[in-house]
Parts: sequence; structure tokens; C-alpha cells
Amino acid sequence: MNARLNRTSWIARITFLEAIRQRFFAFLLVLSAAMVVSSVSLRFMDFGHSELKFVADFAFGGMFLFGSVLALVMTAQLFFAEIENRTALTLLAKPLSRTEFLLGKFLGTWAVLGVFVFSLAFLQGVILWSRTQELIVLAAETGRVAPDFSVSGLASFAVLQWLRLGVVAAMVLMVSAVARTFLFTVIVGAMAIVAGQLQWLAQEALLKPSDASMVTKTLLWISSRVIPNLQQFNIGDTLVLDPTAISGTAVWSVVLSGLFYLVAFLALASLAFRRREI
Amino acid sequence: MHPVSPWVVASLLLLGAGTYSETSWKGVRQAVPEISRKDLEPTLGQGVLLGILGGLRTVVADATWLRSYVFWEKRDRAGCEALMKTACALDPRSRFFWENTGYAVGYDFAHWEIRRRGGYAKVAPDIQEGIFRRYAQLGLAIFEDGVEHTGGNSGILISAGQLAEIKLKDNLLAAAYYRRATQAKTVPWFAYFMCARTMWEAGQKKEAYAWYSAQWLGKLKKGEDGAPDDLERLRFMEDELKVPVQLRIPRQTWEK
Repeated sequence: MNARLNRTSWIARITFLEAIRQRFFAFLLVLSAAMVVSSVSLRFMDFGHSELKFVADFAFGGMFLFGSVLALVMTAQLFFAEIENRTALTLLAKPLSRTEFLLGKFLGTWAVLGVFVFSLAFLQGVILWSRTQELIVLAAETGRVAPDFSVSGLASFAVLQWLRLGVVAAMVLMVSAVARTFLFTVIVGAMAIVAGQLQWLAQEALLKPSDASMVTKTLLWISSRVIPNLQQFNIGDTLVLDPTAISGTAVWSVVLSGLFYLVAFLALASLAFRRREI
Repeated sequence: MHPVSPWVVASLLLLGAGTYSETSWKGVRQAVPEISRKDLEPTLGQGVLLGILGGLRTVVADATWLRSYVFWEKRDRAGCEALMKTACALDPRSRFFWENTGYAVGYDFAHWEIRRRGGYAKVAPDIQEGIFRRYAQLGLAIFEDGVEHTGGNSGILISAGQLAEIKLKDNLLAAAYYRRATQAKTVPWFAYFMCARTMWEAGQKKEAYAWYSAQWLGKLKKGEDGAPDDLERLRFMEDELKVPVQLRIPRQTWEK
């Protein structure tokens, strides 16, 4: 068991170092950071929201958009680089199982995604904190209620986003395990992300009583089980700006749901990879 | 182990995850800005996919609102309405979007329609009135949606009351909106007076006084300044209705 863990962590470490040095990662991180920083100066474009909400939404958007692109492209690229450069053959000729290889790849990628998410969350925290201090002074001068944000809510949201990107990476690995080309993986992976973000439509259609036909209901049932609900991780506004509106149990429930998806997709990816010709 | 067994186990795991996500989704559903399937339809083809997917929703809603002004300037009713409703659907908790969409539909669109039909000189007054009423009804429907999505925002209720009063000339309906505004979490100081005034103008003078005085005694009097303007209006009503002295609101020490 220890040897298995060692081998997996070794692959994960190599993958992490390889990914963190990529220009693509640095580019997306800088782009997202620029987006977070620029949110304060772009707030004059806002209509009728609280200022903190606008600033927070900008950062959440950066995390969502660039995080999804990173999880999709980087996971597929790191996997196919090993296949195309034939390094996978060399590695798998050693006492290293395919499951360990795949799990190592996933953990390495997920760690990089963690660096991405937590760096952005930290930056967002600093921006929100500094702007909140200014708004507190303004509020005191005008006699208004000072706005506030929850640091623990921001930390919880960062964890949820990291988990969401983990589910995306696991899903992309599953597609990579059966796909032949990088391009196919990226296209199918992108469609899976969009489907995941819209999965709740199928789920809600099922939960509400309707006169839909049996075939429709069956299709909805299958799609709501097979496609992960990625929208449930999108609760940043509430967690950061109105944390009392959501219970801790509900957040834990989302974490558990994410972990279930993660394990399920990794299990399927591992099984598919075992049968794959390299 | 049978070669198919791991696949069955993994598939069951995925089905289990899907089933569990129903529970977790129910728990956080209220926290995700509501965008129903019905609301999604007008957003299709508006280039706001990113907002619907979950990221940058506020920003995309703002950008959509800006785009709607281009159509507003061109007096393009269909384009303007579609984009304004899209902004509302993307950020349904924003009072600003609902209120201004209701204003555009309830007030502006009728004028555009009359101009499109040849102008105020060519369209008969009764037809004009019909057009104003029709768009006012549509505006009220938007305000109602806004009230529902914002959890009973008093500002939207006041706007609905004004539209009912100005365009539908229905003081009782306006009074009903103003009254709802007085029951909201944050009530503007003038909402009580507006409700009483529209009831008064609708002919329900005694009811207006009874309601207004009850509100003043129950809520307004306890305010920091004791709401002297409201009391002054109540004194006017008492005089008009010739309320016997013993039934009037007792004279306050600070009253002029």
C-alpha cells in the first residue's frame, strides 16, 4: 500500500512541477489576477448592485472561466503529452500500474488547480478587504450601514471551486482515457462542462411534477445522473456576502457530492485506461 | 472477479453521485440566483451564455443592460425588451433592472407605439389611451415579477403603484401596491402617505383615514421625529371628515 502511494505521489509531484512551469498556467493566472485587480476600477460600469458584490462577481467569474479552461486544457495536455512523447510506455514498463499513473496525473493537476484557485481567492480577499475599509469610512461619513464580507465564506467558496475544478479534471481524464486525440478530448470536455453547468435544468424538471412522457422522463433521469451538477458549486455570492443565508450542512453536502463525483469519474477513467492501447 | 464487475461498481458509483447531488442541490438552490427555464428562453441568442453558466453573471447582466440602451435609443421595442428582460433574468435580485425594465415597458413603449402609428395627431385619443393601458399592464407584470424575485422590494412596489396611478388611473390598485410597500422590510417614509392619498382620491376617505391613523399610532409615531408631516395630513383628513374631537388623534405636545 505504501509503495503504491509512493509511486502515485511521485507521478503527482512530477506532473505538478511540469504543469506549474507551463506558460499557459502562468498566462491564465496573470490574466485572472488582472481581472480581479481591475474589478475595483471597473465598478463605475455597475448598475444597482452593492459594490462588493460587483467586485466579488468579477473574481468569481475569473475563477470559473479561466479555471475551467485551465482544468480542461491542462489535464488533457498533460495526459496526451505522456502518450505522444512515449514517456507513458517507459513509465508503465516499470512497476507502476495504470491506475497509479492516472491517479498521479490527476493529483498533480488538481494541486496546480489548487494553486490557481487559492492564489486568486487570496488576491480577491485582499481586494475585498481594502475596498471594505474604504467603504466603512464612507459609510460612517454618510450615516449608512457599512458593507462587510465573510473571510471564512471566501475560503469555503475557494474550496468548493477547487473541488469543482477537480470534478472537471476527473471528467476530462475519463474522456482522455478513451479518446485518441487531444482536440477531441478538449471539445468533448468543453461540452461536458457546459452540460454540467446546465444539468440542474434536467434535475429541476425531474423534481417538479409534469406531464412529460416516459421517454422524456427517462432521458432526464439518465442525464441528471450521468452529468455532474456543476452549478451547485456556484454559491460564492451567498457564502461571501450573505453567509447567514446558507447553512453549513448544505455546504458540506455540496462538498460530499463533489467528492462522490470525483471518485466515480476517476474510477471510470481508471477502468477505461486499463483497456486502452498506448 | 468478473471483468464486467468493476464497470458495474463504477457506474453505480456515478449513479449514486448523481442521486446524491439532488439532495445537495436542494440545499443550496436558494443561494444560486434563480433563473428558471421560462426565464432562460428570452436569453437565448443574446450572447449571454457565460452569465447563464454561472460565472460573471453580474458583469454580463450589466453589459446586457448597456446593450439594451442602444436599442432604447433606436426606439426598437423588441430588442430593448429582450435585452432588458435578459438582464433581469441574469441578475433577478437586482432592483435596478426590474424597476427600469418596468419603467421602459410601462411608460416609454406606449409612446414609441403611438409614434410608430403616425404620431399623437393621427392616433385617436381613445386608441392612445388603450395603448397606454396595455403597456402599463405589461409594465405592472414586470414589476410583479421583480417583487417576487427581490423578496418584496418596496421600491419596486412604489414604482408599480405610480404606474397604476399615472397610466391606469386606478387609484385603488395603486393604493394596494403602496400598502404592500408599507409592509416591506425597508419602508420609505412617504409610502404611508401615498397609500392614504390614493385611497382618499379613490373615494375611500373614511377607510383612508382609519388606515393612516392606525399606521401613525402603531408605527410612525414611534419614529425618531414622530412623523409630523403625516400627522399634519391626518389633521387635514380629520377636518375634512369632520371627525369628532374625542375620536381624533390626541394632540401631541410637540404639535404646532
